[in-house]
This record gives sequence, C-alpha cells and structure tokens, in this order.
Amino acid sequence: MDITVSLSIIALAAFIHSSFQLSVSVLTLLSGHTIGAKKSHAKLVKLTTSFILGVGTMTVLLLSTISLLLLQLFGPKPPQIVWASGCGLLVGLAFLVWLFYFRQEKGTTLWVPRSIAHYLTERTKATKLSAEAFGLGLSSVFGELLFIIAPLIITALVLIQLEPTWQLIGLGMYTIISLLTLIIIWVIVCKKHNISKIQRWREANKNFIQFISGTSLIILCFFVYAYEIIGSAIGGI
Amino acid sequence: MEDLSVVIIKRGKKRYTEPFMHKKLHDSIVAACLSVRAPEGQAEATADAVCEGVISWLKQRPEVTSQDIRVIATRYLKKYHPEAAYLYEQHRITI
Repeated sequence: MDITVSLSIIALAAFIHSSFQLSVSVLTLLSGHTIGAKKSHAKLVKLTTSFILGVGTMTVLLLSTISLLLLQLFGPKPPQIVWASGCGLLVGLAFLVWLFYFRQEKGTTLWVPRSIAHYLTERTKATKLSAEAFGLGLSSVFGELLFIIAPLIITALVLIQLEPTWQLIGLGMYTIISLLTLIIIWVIVCKKHNISKIQRWREANKNFIQFISGTSLIILCFFVYAYEIIGSAIGGI
Repeated sequence: MEDLSVVIIKRGKKRYTEPFMHKKLHDSIVAACLSVRAPEGQAEATADAVCEGVISWLKQRPEVTSQDIRVIATRYLKKYHPEAAYLYEQHRITI
C-alpha cells in the first residue's frame, strides 16, 4: 500500500470518526451550561478548548495503544484475515449505525448506555475548571468507543505498515480530522452564536448524519477490501 | 417568593422526593435564557413570569413529578422565549 492510499484510508476513517456525535453533544451542553451560569467569554473559550484538547489526547492515546497492540500481535505486515475481520467489523458497525445510532425519539439522544449518558450530562453540569473539561473530553471519547473502534482499528492497521515519520504524520492527520466537527462547533460558540441553532441543526439533520456515517463505513470497507484483499490476491497471482 | 408545600417526585429508579423549590426553577429558567444569549434583565423577567405560571398550575396539585414541572415550565417559556424553551426542553435529550 503506497503513502497516498494509506493517507486516504486514514483520512476517510478520521472523517467517519468525526461524524459520531457524543463529543459534539457534550460540547454543546458544556457551552450552554457555561453561558447559562454567567461565566465570562474567556472562561467559555478556556473550558471548550480544554474539552477539545481532552478529546484529541484520548484519540491519540487510543489510536497509539491499538496500533501498538496490533503491531505486537501481527507485526508490521498483518495477515489478510485481520484485514478481512476489520472489514467485517466495518460492515457490522455500518448496519448498527443505520439502525440504532440516534434513538427514535425527540432530541438527539444517542444509542449509548443511559448510565454513561447520564454521567456525562451530570459531569458537564458540574464542570467549572479547565482540568475537569479536559477530563470530560477524555471520557466522552471513551463513551463512544463502541462506534469509533472500527475506524480506529483500520487506521491502526494502516499505520503499523508505514515508516515511523509517516506513522506520526498519519496519527496527527487522523486526530486533526476527527476533531473537525468539534472545532467547527468551537468556532461557532466562540463567535457568540446561539447554541440552540446548533442543537436545532443537529436534531433536524440527525437522520442524514446517521445515514452518512453508516454509508461512509461501507465505503471505507470497500476501499480497504479492494486495496488490501483483492489487490493482494491479484498481485499474488 | 415562598416555596409551596408540593411534593416533587424526582427522576430515576429510586424516585426520591423533595419539596418544590422556587429558586431552583427560577435559576434553571434564567440559565436557559442566558444560554441563548438573552440579556440578563430579560432572562430574570422571563423566569419570574414562567415561575408564576408554574406555581399557579401547582396550586391544585399536591404531588407532581419533576418531569411534569419541566413540561409545564417549557409550555410557559415557549410563550415568552421560544428559543430558550427549545434549549430547556432539549437539556435531558441532547446526549
């Protein structure tokens, strides 16, 4: 797999990661609570920035850990069965996202355990310090692990085949792209736009977001399957 | 304003109860209004009007759930500040 293809797979996986909504929901709530609690704009910027840094840090840590585990298990050239399993996971997750990602009720409630959702809601309300916001960012990524695990595994499989410099570039690229939606919300909040408009947009377009996330997982699966499995089979012949 | 002797049944499995607290409702309405960038004076006035409406509704009821309070408060808030009402309603259904 050449660098262009590797980076394309990483970019697509990161785009899928960014389309998942738990961190976005938490950031929206955090912004609303901070403004509602009469905190200064500087405090709002500080808390939301810390939150995004927390999300970024957890993404880097998760991706690095999964890469290390896969490298230890399969070495720098993972067998095709691992790629095929990764593709299977992507398809399974795509159906899961299409069917269940947003709950079929009012609002933007997600298909995450209610205890986690309740914990994050309460923690968001209690967040006053930058360190707490950072921790909230870490836990929100952990909360949506069920959905982001497939793009993370595929990215890790691509990363372990690259040269160390390209591994770092890939890791950075994945993290930045996966944070894009949060960065967009952060810019909107920092420009003093109305939080309710963000939430209204999310609620109105939740079926579209769900469809795009699921479809992108299928596209990533085809992409990986074509390059890694069919490509190797043809090359082998 | 004095708190009424109404029992509020809270959400959750334990369903524990607490007395109605005017300040708690008032603060939550103010926070919802401020969250949508309403001026502080308008937020206070809106919260006063909403609390008045909720209290008049509560007077005929000795026991209600916290969800009932939220629904009624949202209904009154919609009259005075629809954007704040939307955010107030969405609070529990965002994640």
